[in-house]
Amino acid sequence: MKAYIQGAGCISPQETAAGGPFLESVKSYEGNRLAVADPDYKQWIDIKMIRRMSRVIKMGVGASQLSLQDAGITMPDAIITGTAYGCLADTSVFLNKMVTQQEEMLTPTAFIQSTHNTVAGQIALMLGCHAYNNTFVHRAFSFENALLDSMMILQEGNAKHILTGGLDEITDHSHTILSRFGLFRNSISNSADLLQTPGEGTINGEGSAFFVLSSEKGNAVTEMQTPATLYKPSGAVETAVFIKEYLGDVMPDVVISGRSGNADEDMVMGALERKLFPGKAIAGFKHLSGEYPTASAFATWLGHNIIRTQQVPEAVLLSGTAPSAIKNVLIINQYQGTHYSLLLLKAC
Amino acid sequence: MEKLMADLKAQIIEQLNLQEVKPEDIGDDQPLFKDGLGLDSIDALELIVLMQQHYNIRMANPDDGPKIFQSIRTMAEFITANQKA
Repeated sequence: MKAYIQGAGCISPQETAAGGPFLESVKSYEGNRLAVADPDYKQWIDIKMIRRMSRVIKMGVGASQLSLQDAGITMPDAIITGTAYGCLADTSVFLNKMVTQQEEMLTPTAFIQSTHNTVAGQIALMLGCHAYNNTFVHRAFSFENALLDSMMILQEGNAKHILTGGLDEITDHSHTILSRFGLFRNSISNSADLLQTPGEGTINGEGSAFFVLSSEKGNAVTEMQTPATLYKPSGAVETAVFIKEYLGDVMPDVVISGRSGNADEDMVMGALERKLFPGKAIAGFKHLSGEYPTASAFATWLGHNIIRTQQVPEAVLLSGTAPSAIKNVLIINQYQGTHYSLLLLKAC
Repeated sequence: MEKLMADLKAQIIEQLNLQEVKPEDIGDDQPLFKDGLGLDSIDALELIVLMQQHYNIRMANPDDGPKIFQSIRTMAEFITANQKA
């Protein structure tokens, strides 16, 4: 299966929503947590509605609006999102009130907006879209399965344009809990150096990336192939076979690597890159987005823009050189060394 | 009554997260819903909880809502009447 990217929008710790030159400059952070660079959400959301929205809802609505504007489409035929954590902030507010108020006098807003499908629902409400609306909550495969569902619907011919996105947010609570698992470095002085200095743990991230996918080429510059996922491979050999089988005869011009700065994970990724793609341009992205379960949505936005602009920004290039004509971009994402996913993007 | 109305304005702004609205922007007799402050049905539920939390007043009859929540003044009058009782 395949789909064409008609439009893309991204809200991330970088200035990706500002619409300037593609990653001409990057923001670096200190610590172990990257927060999105919030655009002015009032450009898309009525002030009477925005007051009820938590950050992840605003991120989702904002990125979806950016992608629709980019595609020149006002009404999609379906809305599909992928998120691992959903609306964490509202969930946290609601649960806290349940405890502190002994399950009495609970306010409705946090409850209503604490479900994972709130973002897709809110987008539909704002657009007045009564079409298919679904949210996939499959940890680090959430975005990939949202893409898969989108492509199946497009293949069935039940929709022409589908709004598909992946998003997750950090809250103080989630960061504290995930930190206890030892997922993140204690601190890093410059997030831009994350992938050059592998160590114990990565840095926490968040973001939202949406795409308008279509079965028809139209003005699209990027064609997306069906994503593939591999859970808990037995080792690098199994992962290498998985990648080879996915690619077939295709050799990517650029590989977007899911290196996270975690030494154990990056050792595997580095070995795969050297074995399968010697001399090819290898790009990283988690020093820009941070690590989160739907970071592959950011990688997809990055890959699409590499094809659109036919350039690999210096800020993401880890090794190798890209050819003057970039035709194929392969995203190899991994999350905690257990969730591997592949997505091939082609210039069209 | 004046102090109660001032308190209510501050509590409503906080509870409903009315960004960019200041207490002085809300008139004592200004309608809270529709063309007035623009509150909606979810806000009505929030106001019911607010009255329980801050004034320990439960609304016995939900049909009275539109009358009680007409304005800051009607809310204050309802709270005053029920707290005395």
